[in-house]
Amino acid sequence: MRKQPVNRISEKGLRVWRLYGIMQTIVVFLLAVGAGILTYIYEWPWWVYGLAAGVVIIYAYLFIVLFPKIRWMRWRYEVRESEIELQHGLFIVKRTLIPMVRVQHVDTSQGPILRNYNLAGITISTAATNHTIPALVMEEADELRSRISVLARVAEDDV
Amino acid sequence: MSEERNKLHWITALIEVLKTLKEMILPLIVIVFANGLQDSGTGKWYWDYLTFIIFGVLIIVFFITGIIKWKRFVYWFEDDELRIEYGLFVKKKRYIPFHRIQSLDYTEGILHRPLKLVKVKVETAGGADIMKSDAELTAITKEAAKRIEEKMAEAKQNIVHKPDDIEGLEAVVEPRPKLKLVYKMTSKDLLVLATTSGGIGLILSGVLIFLVQFAEFIPFDKMYIEISEFIKYGLLIVAIAVFLVLLVIWGISVLMTYLGYYGFTVELDKEDLVISRGLIEKKRVTVPLNRVQSVRIIENPFRQLFGYANVVIDNAGGGLGDSARINLFPLLKKSAINGPLKEIFPDLIVDEPTRKVPDRGKRYYYRIDFLWMIPAIVALTYYFYPYGLFSIAIIPIIVLWGLFQHRSAAFEMFGNQLTMRFRGISLQTAYMMKNRIQSMEMKQNYFHRKKNVAVVSARVKSGVGVFNAQVSYMEEEDANQILDWYEPVRVQGIETDVIVENNLD
Repeated sequence: MRKQPVNRISEKGLRVWRLYGIMQTIVVFLLAVGAGILTYIYEWPWWVYGLAAGVVIIYAYLFIVLFPKIRWMRWRYEVRESEIELQHGLFIVKRTLIPMVRVQHVDTSQGPILRNYNLAGITISTAATNHTIPALVMEEADELRSRISVLARVAEDDV
Repeated sequence: MSEERNKLHWITALIEVLKTLKEMILPLIVIVFANGLQDSGTGKWYWDYLTFIIFGVLIIVFFITGIIKWKRFVYWFEDDELRIEYGLFVKKKRYIPFHRIQSLDYTEGILHRPLKLVKVKVETAGGADIMKSDAELTAITKEAAKRIEEKMAEAKQNIVHKPDDIEGLEAVVEPRPKLKLVYKMTSKDLLVLATTSGGIGLILSGVLIFLVQFAEFIPFDKMYIEISEFIKYGLLIVAIAVFLVLLVIWGISVLMTYLGYYGFTVELDKEDLVISRGLIEKKRVTVPLNRVQSVRIIENPFRQLFGYANVVIDNAGGGLGDSARINLFPLLKKSAINGPLKEIFPDLIVDEPTRKVPDRGKRYYYRIDFLWMIPAIVALTYYFYPYGLFSIAIIPIIVLWGLFQHRSAAFEMFGNQLTMRFRGISLQTAYMMKNRIQSMEMKQNYFHRKKNVAVVSARVKSGVGVFNAQVSYMEEEDANQILDWYEPVRVQGIETDVIVENNLD
């Protein structure tokens, strides 16, 4: 059995995902309200109300409570001298191995919500694939980016 | 120093016009139909013929822009660069250093042949900005093409030797070394290729799309009576009609494949592969061997039956589609592959992968398909009650196909080479070197974890895209072993720990 990568992503990342979940739930809630209004106007059967309410509650539970938790627990990464290892996935656990020699460049990126929490995502690009670590504390992300780029530069190789 | 500026051949203007016309033809026809079928007896002639006037004006505009484009396009050599200047309204310049050019690909179309011209595509060892770094010279004489090649060879030699002895070297530009023929397609193989080509589906869908485009203009109401009359003649005639249509389509695809792959040869230079093919349109593609990322043997079920396979290589250079995934041997007896393949890639181990996946994983090959299958069957049965039940027959087909895929899956590591075999519809055997695999991934869901099986995929660069080789549901242990194999060997274990420590602070 291979060891799990050691580092976790920032705990604030969990909060950000919950926030995303809340925003999605609001949209679903509005749709449900719309369905309710239509039911009232056109006198559709009463169970439509129940269905709409049920969908909102289940959606909220899954996307605000359960999924972010699982995803956060699962997300692990490790940057070693000669390779980067990632582990993530909600239902399907994916473990990715990227040799340092294959890394072409590293980017950090930050949307308004991430910035609010002083977080950043870091994207590692090889010649063919992109891999993103979604939420790291800003300083850690910067430090990681420069470290990867130093390590990748040392390990020069052809495509 | 300013060098002589070269123009393209004037035929370029015509080719440009035809190219634009080809792109515009469908929308134009639709416009003409839409307007032309209206009953517009307004009496004003220019109103009645509006569409034709628009059509005519457009063609004239195309001609003028074509000519301007040709007039504006110049290329020249300066400072070891191929420099191109072009553009209709905005003047664009593109400078390509010779040492960045990885190959020149030649195409001779119908318009090129009688005038002894070629289209030259300059392929660079591009990064992400592939669209910006390539260049195309639509039509130049063969001598001019040769001159570019010579200049390129010159520049490359200058790079290898230090620039201070340029003077001495200028004279020693050798002629291209003789190419060594590795593979030539026999006319029998060509016929088999053409007749079994998968182009049928492509053309069929093309016809379908075309019909859909025109569905609005076909007067179905009038035709309906005739069609029902037609059906009364019996199913046989309908079947024959359908068959004849398919036959014609198939005939076209056979002809197209035949013309496209006529005279297919693969030649070996010192470090390049040169692939030429085509009867009416001659194509010559050069692939530097060190840009090849993976070799794949593909056997589609039908050809597999007769022991045929084709070999594809993934190329890191080039752009999309064609130049990324190159048909090295379009069709070959499976037993005859090893010889020429060994000649091109002497280090490749072309043995069959022998390590199989466990029986425990069998069920996962078809189980996920029930997700879409069950609702589909229920819906079909519900809406088309008695006949919809036939859709149940799809279950054994899917299961059998899943078992077939399970039986096909295999892998093996030979030194630095990973061989993976898997089946979607066709059986693919991918040969990849460790230093060409960009990243690897191991995937497991809850059920797979319980049964200790895992999916392993290797990503290889293919043009600007990715080729994903994937063996599903192998032993978890084997999956770990592959990842361990892929993991770079750590030289200084102590230093690593230091770096990790620093990071954690």
